[in-house]
Amino acid sequence: MTEKLVKQTKTLGNGFQISVVPMTGFNQVYGVAMANFGSVDTRTEKGLLPSGIAHFIEHKLFAKPGYDVSEKFAKYGANSNAYTSYTKTAYLFQTLENPYDNLKVLLDLIQNPYFTEENVASERGIIDQEIQMYLDMPEWVLEQRILGQLYPNDPIAEDIAGSSKSLQQINRDNLLTTYQQNYRPDNMDLVVVGDVDFEKIENIVGNSDFHPIATPLKKAFNQFQPIGQGGQESMDISQARSAFGIRIDTKMTGYDLVKKQFELNMIMETLIGESSTNYQEMSRLNLIDDSFSYNVVAENNYCFIIISGSTNNPEKFQEYLLNHLSYKTLKEVLSDAKFERIKRDAIGSYLFAQNSPEAIANQMAELYFYDVDYLQLIHMIDSIKKDDVLEISEKFLKDNNCTYYNLLPNRK
Amino acid sequence: MRKTLAKNIFLNINPIKKFRTIKIQVDFLRPLHKEETTSRRLLANVMSNSTKDYPSFQAINDREMELYGSEINVFTRNLLNFNDLAFSVEFADPSFLIDGQTQVKDNLDLLGEIIFKPNLEGKRFDETAFETEKRNLMSNLVSIQDNQDLVSSLGLAKLIYQNNPDRQVPIFGNIEQLNDLTNEKLLAVYQDVIKNDSIVINVVGNVNEEEFLQALQASDFYQEMSNDRTDLQIKFDRFEELIKKPAIQIDHKHLNQSRIALAYATEGVSKKFNRLAPQIMNLILGGDDQSQLFQQVREKNSLAYSVSSTYQPLSHLMMIQAGLDSDSVNKAMDLIDQQIDFIKQGKFTDEQVKHAQKVMLTRRKIATDSIQYYIMQSIWQTVYPKTLLNDEQFQAELENMDRTHIASVAQNLHAIAQYQLIGD
Repeated sequence: MTEKLVKQTKTLGNGFQISVVPMTGFNQVYGVAMANFGSVDTRTEKGLLPSGIAHFIEHKLFAKPGYDVSEKFAKYGANSNAYTSYTKTAYLFQTLENPYDNLKVLLDLIQNPYFTEENVASERGIIDQEIQMYLDMPEWVLEQRILGQLYPNDPIAEDIAGSSKSLQQINRDNLLTTYQQNYRPDNMDLVVVGDVDFEKIENIVGNSDFHPIATPLKKAFNQFQPIGQGGQESMDISQARSAFGIRIDTKMTGYDLVKKQFELNMIMETLIGESSTNYQEMSRLNLIDDSFSYNVVAENNYCFIIISGSTNNPEKFQEYLLNHLSYKTLKEVLSDAKFERIKRDAIGSYLFAQNSPEAIANQMAELYFYDVDYLQLIHMIDSIKKDDVLEISEKFLKDNNCTYYNLLPNRK
Repeated sequence: MRKTLAKNIFLNINPIKKFRTIKIQVDFLRPLHKEETTSRRLLANVMSNSTKDYPSFQAINDREMELYGSEINVFTRNLLNFNDLAFSVEFADPSFLIDGQTQVKDNLDLLGEIIFKPNLEGKRFDETAFETEKRNLMSNLVSIQDNQDLVSSLGLAKLIYQNNPDRQVPIFGNIEQLNDLTNEKLLAVYQDVIKNDSIVINVVGNVNEEEFLQALQASDFYQEMSNDRTDLQIKFDRFEELIKKPAIQIDHKHLNQSRIALAYATEGVSKKFNRLAPQIMNLILGGDDQSQLFQQVREKNSLAYSVSSTYQPLSHLMMIQAGLDSDSVNKAMDLIDQQIDFIKQGKFTDEQVKHAQKVMLTRRKIATDSIQYYIMQSIWQTVYPKTLLNDEQFQAELENMDRTHIASVAQNLHAIAQYQLIGD
């Protein structure tokens, strides 16, 4: 039988955490280095940074004097990539061979910035094209707009890549300062999944060139303005899209926040998941199609739910959700049998993800910043009680936590 | 274990133990026929909506959750010149569950229920299931216009297959055909599928082969799949006319970004090396972040965020796609031509060849870390074994690759279609 996953882990003296997970029978080695720094982290003591700066750093860290890091990965047989989310930035490689050489390249990637006026200027054009691509995607535009209602004037409502205008404000100097403030070992971690030797990994990382830490890490969370009243706009699209948002203001962090995310997912699955009465009813009323979905996000001090999809009737879509997403409805429909099914579903999802070294590495790297051990998630899911879920819904499913945004097709 | 249950009904069980899930997939195959494309897609959706014993979408979803989040998937796709209507269930390996002793049987029963026990009202599908799924599909088809990458690749496909009417309807159907589809017609399509399609059943994961076979023989599968099916005839499209006169279409739309999509035939490449050399050529041209297109169009000239080429080994076609500003289109097209010339003239380095060889090998081995890889290998083994290379053949062909082979592929590239979606 396939062995259960285990991990070896160590936090170095400088605060950088290393984890290694062997995967029996898998050919690849997958490594990810993650910084607890993302697109929302634009507020500093010296003022506001241009939006998109975290994503710009992600692009430009690949540039080194006289070479691009992707060439080195290629030389050692790896493919490499990177991504920026609202609160994290990750750099990764996938390889069959030379895992230790590739790890050294990964460390070079995150430890040695080489920003010049020239290479920053040439990257602007590329990122601007990335921004234009997303602007043609209604789902993406809608997500930004609903976030603008949930968190008015907050950096989370900006495109992760910024805007054509903010790109002009990004330069060599603010890239370097921002890099130095955030790419510090006590704000990063590394996960390697595959057949590697932990001690070798530890030695390579231990002997690598992290920047010295001058000051303790200060993580300032953004302060939020009141939720917006909702809104809509026209776009050149063939079908209307609607988003319904719920903001959950919580002081929770770490393990408790991750647990809350699971509980909120259970609430949403019960109320509007594919096995819910509401899903059937909204479908019968022709308010949704199979693009209807929900997403629960709990990262740093942001916690929100976005429910969205194509609809023939945005007004009724919003009205239905406002009337049916309630503690009262949940209490009526969340039987013991239903709760058991939802828990089983969550356990199944956890096992499905373990088929993928990529999923394991990325989730484990991210959960580290919340003091959660990925391999113990099953116990967290198991510990959730029906009453916990009901209690949370009573606290947060309130009209004044909700807002909306609609994208309407232009009338030609 | 490979077994023939009846003529053109195949079963393959691969009891591999590396995954934490088990997957059962049943593929129903028949030649692509334009009149059936939309109906087979709607059928896929209606059949996954509900069944006789789980008569609503809610009931079937409850059952999937009960089985630790089993994932049912029913879809259609193009496979060579066939329309493949595939049903699958993937579920948690019971050895990782405390009380999952009946997982394999329960999931096999659920898949059997979906395929063989449709939710009928007399001689029609349940009206709610039919109407809901018809409406959903219509909505999806309307929404295609909002996905510009898809609009662009569909625009290109329409040009490439302009002489093949069966390929003119996209695999997910079209609005005109969907409007004409009635509940009664759909049931007739279902009955025809069950009785006449060739079938490949695959099971991948931690199962006991004999026990699984016994469970299958005791299930609806065995009784419903006992009659012989007709042979599948493989056919390939020819592109002589397009080689003589390439098809070009330019559409305009109110968009932030323009898209270009180009297709090339590779006719004339020697059969001695026409399996891997085109793939190596494609990798050097635009297959990854070290390629000519990525380096020249994106990194050096900052014209695009996404620019790449792909090679389809079965149709022997190469495609290039890019997203860029409308006023950069001509410059990008020139740069693309320059990169093809670069390879034609053999200017690529030995390091580029070595890198491409390494990427081919790496991708092949990493693919084996996915459960779907084993299912696809088995389908090809059954339907078109000629396309498969074993590890020794693959290694030998890769090592014997000559620079002249790669240049020869580029020299035999024939532009056959060009679609531009200009944003203004």
